[in-house]
Amino acid sequence: MNIVQLSLANLREKKLNSFLSIMLLTLGIGMISLLLLLDKQLESQFKRNIKGVDMVVGAKGSPLQLILSSIYQIDAPTGNIPLTEVNRLARNPFVKTVIPLSMGDSYHGYRIIGTDSSYVRHFEAQLAQGTLFSESQSVTIGAKVAKATGLKIGDTFEGAHGLDGAGEAHGAHPYKVVGVFEANGSVIDQLILTSLESIWQVHDHEEEAPGLAALNELEQGGEAHGEHGKEITSALIKFRNPMGLMTLPRQINQNTSMQSALPSIEINRLFSLLGIGIDTLRALALLIIVIAGLSVFISLYNSLKERKYEMALMLSMGATRSRLFGMLLLEGIILSVMGYVFGIGLSRVGLWLFAQSAEKDYHYDFSQFQLLPNEWYLLGAALLVGFLAALLPSLGIYRVNISRTLAEE
Amino acid sequence: MIYTHGLHFAYHQSKQFSFPDLHCEDGETLLILGESGKGKTTLLHTLGLLIKPDRGQMVLDGRNLEGLTQKEMVQTRAQQIGIIYQKAHFVSSLSVRDNLLLANYLGAKEQDAQKVKYLSEELGFAGHLDKRPWQLSQGEQQRVSIARCLMNSPRLLLADEPTSSLDDNNCHKVIGLLKAQSEAIGASLLVVTHDQRLKDEFPNRVFL
Repeated sequence: MNIVQLSLANLREKKLNSFLSIMLLTLGIGMISLLLLLDKQLESQFKRNIKGVDMVVGAKGSPLQLILSSIYQIDAPTGNIPLTEVNRLARNPFVKTVIPLSMGDSYHGYRIIGTDSSYVRHFEAQLAQGTLFSESQSVTIGAKVAKATGLKIGDTFEGAHGLDGAGEAHGAHPYKVVGVFEANGSVIDQLILTSLESIWQVHDHEEEAPGLAALNELEQGGEAHGEHGKEITSALIKFRNPMGLMTLPRQINQNTSMQSALPSIEINRLFSLLGIGIDTLRALALLIIVIAGLSVFISLYNSLKERKYEMALMLSMGATRSRLFGMLLLEGIILSVMGYVFGIGLSRVGLWLFAQSAEKDYHYDFSQFQLLPNEWYLLGAALLVGFLAALLPSLGIYRVNISRTLAEE
Repeated sequence: MIYTHGLHFAYHQSKQFSFPDLHCEDGETLLILGESGKGKTTLLHTLGLLIKPDRGQMVLDGRNLEGLTQKEMVQTRAQQIGIIYQKAHFVSSLSVRDNLLLANYLGAKEQDAQKVKYLSEELGFAGHLDKRPWQLSQGEQQRVSIARCLMNSPRLLLADEPTSSLDDNNCHKVIGLLKAQSEAIGASLLVVTHDQRLKDEFPNRVFL
């Protein structure tokens, strides 16, 4: 028998009240914690992949779409651009590196990207086994692709039209797996990389614009392909110095058939759009926490009124007022700690569920379950709510007149 | 041993009580009879150190209780005085057993599970230790409250109308147990009541 047991017994006695208080706290804390987790993971995912890319060029359209499709591989590409224009850009003195990307096909929902080895270097991807794609129709696959599809080195598969895994298969040109990357948390984990030539070869006989068909006829197709008439989807550009940032984007938008998009600006725009929703949710969660505090307050206030005689009795039996005050405060604090623990648990479950669907839809990994620094502040806030809500009713113990209360009944 | 001299308590100008001098030796009993409004409960609360008299002297076990600090009063009350109220009250969220142990805990004494067992057998509620107090009958509850005030082996037992809500059968049983237990630990037993049934049970009587 001690104060903690007494507090717990009192909370158990008022099961429904305690349940309501804990549930409200759980909801509020859970929501804030989930928002913190998502915020952090989204941001770190987005920032990690953006690193080292100053500008993206692609077909004209929505710049945000271009960024999402070229860097994060989660939106449809805007269209194709002529390789000649990209190569002209690569010769610009402000440009340091150009990573070409060609996309449009997929295998089981995983995108097949035509590029060169600079893309692999950019993401610092390491080979887990095998080699990098080189000869035509050879591919190196990301760790998650290997895991999800079961593809191994030496396996062959056929890419499908489109990015949703529901397109018609390119039966005549199977790809061969020659290597698997180690997982490094970047977008490469969920991609199938091959050379630009492989992509061209697959599409050579299938989708040629009428104008290009005429050109190809002149060149007799096959090996003789020059860079003329070749198309890619987009290119990731890194500048030599900030001057490039000042002049190139405008030049590209005005003088070429391409558009340029700056990842940092587009992503900030995306986050500020999302931010409205997140702010609303956060305000709602705070409101729930305040209501939870109110529920703790009302529950303790009522229970103290009912237990006034018990309090006087305990005081007459030798309890000091400060001890009973502590007992009542403890009840509020136990409620808030339980609300916090369940809330953190709830947010992990929520994150896990989100990760399941996000992984399926976007192949993005959101499974980071450790406690965030901000969640320690959340614990402080929960304790404060419990403490403040319990404080006022608990102070009532100092107003109990022992003799009068005991004589009343 | 309890001894008082010239106790006086005033709630306000028109409600004042002057109490007769009391004397009760160790192991003895004293019945204080009085009608409603005569200040029975006030006297009992004064003796129980729940309120301070305006003037007068109280001596418990040779120790003058005048001029005790608040802390000493709380401690004396918890360890040396046991009070039984008209209607038995308990901490309702705790079991009968824990309610008894609570007396030890709040009196800053070691929690004595053996004593709980012994008293529950003596007072006849050994089968109810794990129940909640409110699940017991009135008579049983009053016996539990007697056990509770015996937990710290007090020197003075005070009972405020302990039998007024009990039927004749339970009334005699409870008073018999109270007297027996008080004598067993050599405490002074003071019973304040208007219950005429108790007159014949006590040789020493004082009228308010």
